[in-house]
Amino acid sequence: MKLKVTQENLAKALNYVSRVASSRGTLPVLANVLLSVEENRLRLAATNLDIAISCYVGAQVQKPGSLTVPARLFQDLIASLPSGVIELEQNDMRLKVQTNHYKSVINGVSAEEFPVMPTIENGIRWQIETTALKEGLQQVILAASNDESRPVLTGVLFHTIDGSLYAASTDSYRLAERRLMKTDKTIRLLIPATALHDTLRIIADHNGETEVVCDEQQVLFRAGEVELVARLIDGNYPDYRKLIPQSFETSANLTKADFTNITKVASLFARESAGSVVLSADAASESVWIRAVASQVGENDASATATVVGGGEVTLNSRYLLDALQVMDGKNVQIRFNGKVEPVLLSDPDQEDYLHLIMPLKS
Amino acid sequence: MNTVQEDKLWQTVLGDIEISLSRANYLTWFKNTHLIDRVGDHIVIGVPNVFIKQQLERKYNQLILDTIQKNGVSIDSIDFKIQSVSRAEIDEKAELQVESIATQHVPQMLSSERPKNASSLAHTYRQGINERYTFDNFVVGSGNELAYAACQAVANEVGTKYNPLFLYGGVGIGKTHLIQAVGNAVVSRNPQARVVYISSEQFVQEFVDALRFKKNTDFADYYRSADVLIVDDVQFFAGKEKIQEEFFHTFNALHQANHQIIISSDKPPREIPTLEERLRSRFVWGMSIDMQNPDFETRCAIIQNKAAVKQINLPSDVVDFLSTQFQTNIRELEGALNQLLAFCEMRGLEPNLAIVTGLLGGRAARPKHLSAHQIIERCAKYYQIELDDILGAKRDKDIVVPRQVAMYLLRSELHLSFPKIAHELGRKDHTTAIHSVDKIEKEFNLNPTIRAAVNEIKEHLYA
Repeated sequence: MKLKVTQENLAKALNYVSRVASSRGTLPVLANVLLSVEENRLRLAATNLDIAISCYVGAQVQKPGSLTVPARLFQDLIASLPSGVIELEQNDMRLKVQTNHYKSVINGVSAEEFPVMPTIENGIRWQIETTALKEGLQQVILAASNDESRPVLTGVLFHTIDGSLYAASTDSYRLAERRLMKTDKTIRLLIPATALHDTLRIIADHNGETEVVCDEQQVLFRAGEVELVARLIDGNYPDYRKLIPQSFETSANLTKADFTNITKVASLFARESAGSVVLSADAASESVWIRAVASQVGENDASATATVVGGGEVTLNSRYLLDALQVMDGKNVQIRFNGKVEPVLLSDPDQEDYLHLIMPLKS
Repeated sequence: MNTVQEDKLWQTVLGDIEISLSRANYLTWFKNTHLIDRVGDHIVIGVPNVFIKQQLERKYNQLILDTIQKNGVSIDSIDFKIQSVSRAEIDEKAELQVESIATQHVPQMLSSERPKNASSLAHTYRQGINERYTFDNFVVGSGNELAYAACQAVANEVGTKYNPLFLYGGVGIGKTHLIQAVGNAVVSRNPQARVVYISSEQFVQEFVDALRFKKNTDFADYYRSADVLIVDDVQFFAGKEKIQEEFFHTFNALHQANHQIIISSDKPPREIPTLEERLRSRFVWGMSIDMQNPDFETRCAIIQNKAAVKQINLPSDVVDFLSTQFQTNIRELEGALNQLLAFCEMRGLEPNLAIVTGLLGGRAARPKHLSAHQIIERCAKYYQIELDDILGAKRDKDIVVPRQVAMYLLRSELHLSFPKIAHELGRKDHTTAIHSVDKIEKEFNLNPTIRAAVNEIKEHLYA
């Protein structure tokens, strides 16, 4: 292998892939990144056997070949080099990295040792607007659980209902669902939230469309030159939709800014009680109140003007409330609930794409 | 499906492959594979996930084929199938999850309406509780009746009566027994209760692990969702600031929610060095009880109790001897009793005074190396005064008390005569010694400071 590539492109590509390379596994070669020449381009790839990321880089190829080198070292080295053209040359199991003023040689490991990068043949293939995917993932990923004892809940469910694709997740304390797009396909995927965090990373700077290919066991996201393949979670996702209440006794509309502010202030006083705050809505005074009592610190009471139908109060975890408000877009928020023990629903009154459900705390 | 023979075939193949590959490669790709089916010259191999499937298909197909053929079986093709947990099991789990989410309206806090499948969860919360320790087999005496009553009250009214309950006292006087008994009583009344018993050392260890693996929230959630949290030997938190902070928050969360906290320590909160003030004040918030050494009658009762459990009748002079010999530590007492009983059982003898004296006389006797000088030195050190002062003529109060304590100890530990005691401390008149020993003996029962001092000096002496 012998080729020339710009430092900028190589550094960027390494940024995408080298994160998944880790030396913690049983297989030492997984700490390496695979360099190979494919169709006159340089391909960088790394995997931790749950997720595999690869990235193509435009290059002037003089000789094909492939080799793996330690990801950490290679990434740090390339990042430290000045911008401009870098020449990579493979000499048996060693990689020579050369610019005008720098010359390094890295000991590599044969590409033969590297696991085959997974591919998907005969999968379902669809496109999604990258910005929609980005927004959608950010809105639902926070509700996924990280409790490995219930693996199903550590994933985000992508599924189609009545011609629309939805992404949803729940850790059984809160639940988020976002409608992503219209589609005529039937899709049902349970993707690990960890893989989606990496997906968010690779699509962060991408505009246009992201291509998704999936089969029974794995899913591939392709954004421009970067590809991520993740293994799906096996298992049946709970029928979360039946948890969403259909009617509500109390409903309040207020601006997101107001709501965020009063919650934030109350949360300062809720640290002692694990975030617990009491939210009440009152139609007569047209306001929403949030109250927190900390016996050691003091107490807080804040209200915001709102359009209220019905009335009542409910105890919530302020952290969950703030998390939800942070990812909701739109100017206004609608909060609806039924008494003290049924789930509380947060949504945007102006558009119905996003739902966020929070279970109350026992008061 | 697969017969024993085919299973064996795959094991042989794996054995062969293990040798020809590096260990890391073998473990990564072949460890969790198994033979699912074999039909004629076609076999199906089960693999745990799609990454391994593709790797085996593309890279190791030939190797597997060759190895199988080498073992005398001709195979044309291999299929790989992903099969980790059996399907049925997964479906069942999914059902449970739906149910648990649907019924958990108030999932974060504990309530009596916890979902039915939580019994397994409750079980993990019960680790550390030893069912052997109950109120029934605790012997109540004058030194521990207050603690016993408080513990019973706590078990009856969890979280509301005395919260926190703080027990302190020396080694081997039944603190652990009592607090475990509370745990057992709570559990027997409400099998769903989450009772967590943990030693402070374990708490520290788990906290460090949580930090290491970045599971702080799991750690916090676990302890903050307990109905009853029992922490044994809390004095080991001394000097560990981060732990104290974590425990402080756990404490607050539990106390706030009216969940019971029970703590034991070998010293009262104010004497635990480097314990943060806010924790110290919290520890004494509910009820703190000093557990005293058991008195003679209690010790006799304990021995008789233990013997009764083993269905052995001990003559009363043996019981007397044992309780005289082992005055403070019940563990030692129990150990001695066990030794005696084992000895008698082995030789087929009835326990009597002669045997017990012969057997334990040596063990119970005070260590010979203890000298009068050591005792005096230890007292001076405890009170942080100079040896010369304690032996000298000064009569300041801060020197007189240590001197009196030293005299008392010389009398009680070494059984020296009064003139000898006076001599050891550079006094001419033995009546001073008589007065001092008398005074401390009285104070010992009335003044906790003196009692703590004497006990601690003793502990150091025999440590």
